[in-house]
Amino acid sequence: MLAHVQSCEFPRFRPVLRRAAPVRLAMTRPPEALALDALLRRVAQTRDRAAFAALFDHFAPRIKSYLMRLGAPAAQAEDLAQEAMLSLWRKAHLFDPAKASAATWLFTIARNLRIDAIRREKRPELDPQDFQPEAGPDADDAITLASDEVRLREALKDLPPDQAMVIQQSFFADKPHSQIADELGIPLGTVKSRLRLAMVRLKSALGNTP
Amino acid sequence: MSIRHHPDESLLLAYASGTADEATGLIIATHMAFCPQCRQTVTLMEKIGGRLLETLPAAPLSRQALDATLARLDEPVAVAVPPRAPSKDGTPQPLRAYLGGDLSGVRWRRMGPSLAYKPLFRRGGISAKLLRGAPGTEVGAHTHRGMEYTLVLAGGFCDVTGRYGPGDLQVADSHVRHSPIADPGEDCINLAVTTAPLKFENLIQKIAGPLFGF
Ligand SMILES: [Zn+2]
Repeated sequence: MLAHVQSCEFPRFRPVLRRAAPVRLAMTRPPEALALDALLRRVAQTRDRAAFAALFDHFAPRIKSYLMRLGAPAAQAEDLAQEAMLSLWRKAHLFDPAKASAATWLFTIARNLRIDAIRREKRPELDPQDFQPEAGPDADDAITLASDEVRLREALKDLPPDQAMVIQQSFFADKPHSQIADELGIPLGTVKSRLRLAMVRLKSALGNTP
Repeated sequence: MSIRHHPDESLLLAYASGTADEATGLIIATHMAFCPQCRQTVTLMEKIGGRLLETLPAAPLSRQALDATLARLDEPVAVAVPPRAPSKDGTPQPLRAYLGGDLSGVRWRRMGPSLAYKPLFRRGGISAKLLRGAPGTEVGAHTHRGMEYTLVLAGGFCDVTGRYGPGDLQVADSHVRHSPIADPGEDCINLAVTTAPLKFENLIQKIAGPLFGF
């Protein structure tokens, strides 16, 4: 399990895009990630099927991979990856590039589909009615998000391996932290302190106050 | 209102990554309705999830997968769920979804003169319920077989581990022995999640506990 996890430690990203998309924030954000967000906006605005197909080529195999890591059989993982992409098509108008990248948005879609379809539970969701938006809509939001994403990916690469591993296991193992601790042969407190240290590092890389 | 007791990174990450069970998810989401700090942390954790998704090696799909999906793009879609009605008394929305309305409309079941409860759901050994104690109510000393999560929704309580007010989350594991006392003033209303029945020390509660699902 360990070798398996470490072998996928933040490898380089190689998008397969059929068409170049307009790039506005190229100075702060890797062009491929921007291109994905732009494709998603095209799906929302013009129901562009070529843009959808490019997003599918990039994300569906990764969603399948994500679900298989969490224990789904290949056929079910593939069905759910297709469902996730259909959901992207249907909900594209809700995508807000100032709040999340296409990858983050798809991650939440795939995560929720899995809870629903595999675990057969509901996911209690936040509702913006419960709180004032943290900051009003701001023309700079998209730029802030873009530079945040760059800093986040750098900070993730720079995490000490023991911290990176418990973060990865948290997303891909579908096990409580107590079990992750048992399997690593370390106390639960050590897993928790690695998580805490990792989050402190990532927050400070993004300039968030701890 | 300032929150002093937050879920730790481990709990927030379980919610953000989707590994938390539903009852734990409910208590975390309800805490987040009170807590901008934890909302911000979970948003960051979801970005980490997005980044990890992007960096996963692709698992190839069968050749017809794209065409099969393209063929379904024009399927009629089930009518979207209407947004939830706004709360009249500030009950957090994640909780309203389970109550079917506001806290002020809950039909409480009494147990004794000063304590009432409302079961929400139970799945496996994990149960979620609301507890309501009159000011000054003492819940008998108990320890736990599993975990006990208590989120204050209104009023407050005190025990050996500290003071808890609205939005505060108490996490007690099998090592904690406590006998919470509701603050004076107003009723204390808590959302409680237990992963195994509590162990009461008082004989009456020992007998009554299982009856009430504790
Ligand atoms: Zn909090």
